[in-house]
Amino acid sequence: MKTCLIVDDSRVVRKVAARIIQDLKFNIVEAGNGAEALNACRESMPDAVLLDWNMPVMNGLDFLRALRREDGGKKPLVVFCSIENDAEHINEAIRSGADEFIMKPFDADILESKFAEVGLV
Amino acid sequence: MKDEVFNELADLALKGSGQSIPKSKAYLIEARLAPIARREGFGTMEDLVHCVKSRANPAFISEIAATLTSKDTRFFRERGTLQRVLTDVLPERLKATNTGRLKIWLAGGSTGQEAYSLAILLEDELPPALRGAKIEILSTDICKVTTENARNGRYGHYDVQKGLSIHRLTKHFNRLETGQWEASEALRSHTSFRQHNLLESAAGLGKFDVIICRNVLPGMARSARVRVVESLASQLVPGGLILLGQGEGLIGLTDKLEPARDFRGAWVAAGTANAAASAA
Repeated sequence: MKTCLIVDDSRVVRKVAARIIQDLKFNIVEAGNGAEALNACRESMPDAVLLDWNMPVMNGLDFLRALRREDGGKKPLVVFCSIENDAEHINEAIRSGADEFIMKPFDADILESKFAEVGLV
Repeated sequence: MKDEVFNELADLALKGSGQSIPKSKAYLIEARLAPIARREGFGTMEDLVHCVKSRANPAFISEIAATLTSKDTRFFRERGTLQRVLTDVLPERLKATNTGRLKIWLAGGSTGQEAYSLAILLEDELPPALRGAKIEILSTDICKVTTENARNGRYGHYDVQKGLSIHRLTKHFNRLETGQWEASEALRSHTSFRQHNLLESAAGLGKFDVIICRNVLPGMARSARVRVVESLASQLVPGGLILLGQGEGLIGLTDKLEPARDFRGAWVAAGTANAAASAA
């Protein structure tokens, strides 16, 4: 079974996303910010990362750039999931190594559709 | 909803758009007509039906029938079929014609996502064999408002995230200050939109190389399906094909069409399947 790391400082968002992604047959690992997420990746690199932008300690963009520099860090498919949904932010996320981008708020259909776009389901 | 109110509205849908709405889906009637009821100041569906019966305004009745149709669609629905149209069907159709012009009709195209999906494929993945060809995509819908929305090419947050990758969204759509995303001029140059009731003659729309009619027929009464299918068949150019949605079939509805060989979901003029198979 594939693993998805959900990185968001909101416990509610993590819980909702986890329920949806579990239904897509993923094991779930959670992190509350980019630094926690980076530690989780160093322990075991996930197949997918669902990543918030604005978080304390280390934001999503800094995490993504750091992840892509790690050994094996190019492997996870990263789906940004943010309320910052103007073209500038989206392009910056893609340039920094994101594979897809979900504009919050989202629902199960959107999440599944975006995972399908990058071949995760 | 009272039985007599449901019966009146279901009958109106049947006559106006060919739709067969079972009583178990009475909630759909309420949900779809709520905006009209609000606009006209009706407190209940009963008031709306009373008005329909007393005023007998054909334009209002048509609007209600059109509003009751399903608007369900998304970008790149049944993507493989659309890609096959581009890579196999259109190049073969182009070889068969000497006009350099190909026409696609999305019959019951709702808010335009399928038309724009085809336009995106034309922009992003045009096969060399189609270079220089003039490819026109016409999308029609029974509903005036839906057709206007499709023509505007503006989609909300939820619509653009279903079936459309972020790369294609940012490449082919511009974000407006309202938060909506608007189809680019390039996509618009391939597409046109017209209000059209499939129960009426389509002769004025012209002939088409490919007609795509998905998720429209299953909601219709049998008599309406027969009428629509025969109308679609009469708008095909010789050698053209009709594409239906997954799991949809025409067997027993018409003897004018038969399944295309080697292309599931595609139908061609009866007696031409072998020729169409070699083309596809």
